[in-house]
Amino acid sequence: MSAVPQTVDAYDITRRSNGLRRRRATEKLMGTLGVVSAGLAVAILALVLGTVLLKGLSALDTDFFTQPRPLFGAEGGIADALVGSAIIVAMCVVFAVPSAVLVAIYMAEYASPRVATFLRIVLDVLNGVPAIVVGIFIFGILVVGHGQSGLFGALALAILMLPMVARATQEVLEVIPRSLREASLALGVTKWKTTTSIVLPAAIGGILTGVVIAVARVAGETAPLLFTSSIAANQVSTDALHALPTLPVAIFTFSESADPADQARGWAAALVLIVFVLVTNILAKVFSRGRTGR
Amino acid sequence: MKKALAATLAVAALVAIALVAGRAAAAPAATKDTAIVGTGSSFVFPLVSKWIPEVAKAYGFNITYSPTGSGAGIAGVTARTVDFGASDAPLSADQLTACKGCVVIPWALSATSIPYNVPGLGGRLHLDGPTLANIYLGKITSWNAPAIKKLNPSLNLPNLRITPVYRSDTSGTTYNFTEYLSTVSGEFKSKVGNSTAVNFPTGVGARGSSGVAGVVSKTEGALTYVDVAYSLANHFTFAGIKNKSGAFALPGLRGIKQAVSQLPKKVTSLSQLKIVDPPKSAGKQAYPIVTFSYVIVPTNSSKAGSVRKLVYWAVTQGQKFGPPLLFEPLPVTVQAFAYREIKKIQGV
Amino acid sequence: MSTIDDTAAPAAGQAATGLERRRLRLGDTLFRGLALTASAGSVFLLGWIAYKVLDLAWPSIQHFGLSFVWTEAWDPVTEQFGALTFIYGTALTSLIALVIAVPISIGIALFLTEIAPKKVAAPIATMVELLAAIPSVVLGLWGILVFGPWIAEHLEPFLQDHLGFLPIFSGSPSQAGILPAALVLTIMIVPITSAICRELFLRVPRDLTDGALALGSTRWESIRGVTLTYAAPGIAAAVLLGLGRAFGEAIAVTQVIGGGNSINVSWFATGDTLASRIASQYQGATSQLQAGSILYLAAILMAISLVTNVAAQLIVRRFEKARRAA
Repeated sequence: MSAVPQTVDAYDITRRSNGLRRRRATEKLMGTLGVVSAGLAVAILALVLGTVLLKGLSALDTDFFTQPRPLFGAEGGIADALVGSAIIVAMCVVFAVPSAVLVAIYMAEYASPRVATFLRIVLDVLNGVPAIVVGIFIFGILVVGHGQSGLFGALALAILMLPMVARATQEVLEVIPRSLREASLALGVTKWKTTTSIVLPAAIGGILTGVVIAVARVAGETAPLLFTSSIAANQVSTDALHALPTLPVAIFTFSESADPADQARGWAAALVLIVFVLVTNILAKVFSRGRTGR
Repeated sequence: MKKALAATLAVAALVAIALVAGRAAAAPAATKDTAIVGTGSSFVFPLVSKWIPEVAKAYGFNITYSPTGSGAGIAGVTARTVDFGASDAPLSADQLTACKGCVVIPWALSATSIPYNVPGLGGRLHLDGPTLANIYLGKITSWNAPAIKKLNPSLNLPNLRITPVYRSDTSGTTYNFTEYLSTVSGEFKSKVGNSTAVNFPTGVGARGSSGVAGVVSKTEGALTYVDVAYSLANHFTFAGIKNKSGAFALPGLRGIKQAVSQLPKKVTSLSQLKIVDPPKSAGKQAYPIVTFSYVIVPTNSSKAGSVRKLVYWAVTQGQKFGPPLLFEPLPVTVQAFAYREIKKIQGV
Repeated sequence: MSTIDDTAAPAAGQAATGLERRRLRLGDTLFRGLALTASAGSVFLLGWIAYKVLDLAWPSIQHFGLSFVWTEAWDPVTEQFGALTFIYGTALTSLIALVIAVPISIGIALFLTEIAPKKVAAPIATMVELLAAIPSVVLGLWGILVFGPWIAEHLEPFLQDHLGFLPIFSGSPSQAGILPAALVLTIMIVPITSAICRELFLRVPRDLTDGALALGSTRWESIRGVTLTYAAPGIAAAVLLGLGRAFGEAIAVTQVIGGGNSINVSWFATGDTLASRIASQYQGATSQLQAGSILYLAAILMAISLVTNVAAQLIVRRFEKARRAA
């Protein structure tokens, strides 16, 4: 440093230092990289959603929603896949949510800390089992010998949904103040009555949020359905004891086809699925905000 | 809390509407007994698609068929996850044993076309067996290779890389194609072999007849092997393949008919139905890559009666739906063989 | 007080009669039993899945033994099967995806926590979450019809023109292959890892970063020295979780990877991953050995997923313990 500083302001001095200039430059670079990363993510999102929207909208018409998937060389829509998905996802919720809530209750209310940790590990590991392996599992124990069915598809999806809902419920239950439970028990209410009439209702918002998020995830799962509910008739059916067509599997099939009409149907079906996922995610946000905010 | 209730009711209402609408739109008279489920060959899917509404009209059967590849058809009927399987490849001895009392009945006949995506050729591509084998062995990599030029002296062959496309799933079309290539190329036979799923040394894999057709439509320089009905539906140009007469035959009805003209008078076993690379006596237009497609049916099952009716209909009345899709009706000798096999299926 | 059912609770101060006490205990016992059954069921389910996969894979495990894991072969004709091609494919696509995704995720998380004003951060955070919500089959559809062709027409030629001396960018550009699959996986991993990183960065105690700034470091230096160091274990866990997600992805990968059978040094070549091979060939396995081999692949996949999952959990647990001790 050569010049005598005019002021004692340290900032003034260091501005002439090369070291700081380099550090400032690095900071600017990192800042730019941060902005670029975020921009990249937003751009990809816009690209994907934009393409789905543009290409999907053109194929949307009443036929699309009322006609079943087409046979070779015919016209059609996704009516059967929509109905099939709705039924399978609904059944999945019925299978998964009560069991998940019960597991969470056990973890939060009854289990010792060791057992609770063990169960948490088990649920996390279950969550990490790839969806395709779950599909093979259900195929191996149920489909072999009995054939595919919407029921088996729902069971496979329920295995995926269970850990998600159980963890979400457990976290919500732990947030509920102990004083609530203690007050109820002190008044002589039985433990199970306390749990079901006091604790659960207080937790219901969080549980529903968890369920809705899990539904959004599970509704788009293809792999477990490939082996359990993919050989389905090209007509609208509510018979869950046979295989039901589903939206994700339909998109998968359309995506590989050479027929531009099939591809257009694929985009439109993807649009429907994304809209559903988006709406459920927004619903979940509304739940959680309604709970915490006001 | 109120919001949660309201939203839950909304979701429940949506599901209820879906169920009601579904019930209203569902096909009438679809009872469990008349529901027949099959899977397998995508090769035969165009024809089966035509059969499904016709059989519904004739017998009230509600047939579900999903093209998952011949391998999945064999595996599915073996595991009894479906009522019948469809395969373009006959069953090996091991597979037949594993299927525990299944009959294999030919019910369709068509050709494996070789479509390609090479712009600006100025004419139809001509190929022969050894050249095709070398392409799939990775020895010929460019469209303007000398071997191809020799067969197509008048065409405008670009300096474009060849992308051979193959079936990544277990496929009867692969069986047919590799059977042909193994017949005309000893190197292919020893290096790759003849099966429903082989280890292709080069190229891009895709699932289903639909999938390989999809890759060809999007990739310049690609070629593949697929049932001719898919080539037609996607407006592909397919190659003329040199037969034993020296002509470049096409996978049309005449080509198919000539290819099966040398069958024995009485067919007693499936091993007599080898029709790839037919001899000179078959005819000038005989197409070298033709295959039967088979339905695999357990002789004893709860659905045996219905499936028996279905197969009988298919090999008789069903055949007339074939020609527009370039499925040649079964030769009489093969039909007779089919009748004898159908008799083995129990049921009314 | 009004929400409490008076028939179940004896009035305060009054001892319950024997009958009432038994009824109360019965309810509690039943409910606890129900919850316990559900929990035991979950544990049993996990064990059953592992058992079933091994059981179905047994014909192949017995036939090939451990050498299956390092054998590069997949020939149904000669019944030679080995997992090496797919372990290579899984590892390569996931690693490429990670190497690209992690810096981007950290960048996004830093942007959301440090750079962006709250008004901008909230909608952008939502958009990143939306990216996570896109079902993999839709990403695969976009990959086959839009992204793959773009990669083949623009990205791969660009890489070959400028970096073609590297063997990984040799070979001819293709719409289906290792690179498209890796890039699709990147898009899947980024939202997950960036969300976790964002949570981590928000939890860094302000006094630590303020202290660094007071000592004269620039914002970036305080981030690098304090935030990232503090969150490093968490970032490691996030990386492992993203890795686990990438390993298990079957559908989107099988749509764009091209079903190759051998190991290729070029990233433009086709290949296959464990999950993708299972998805494309399981239904069509026509011999006991082939079906068993595909399940053997599933067992390897489960083992790899388990290891990354447990590793992530261990890191998180140690992280929490260290922080609670501090």
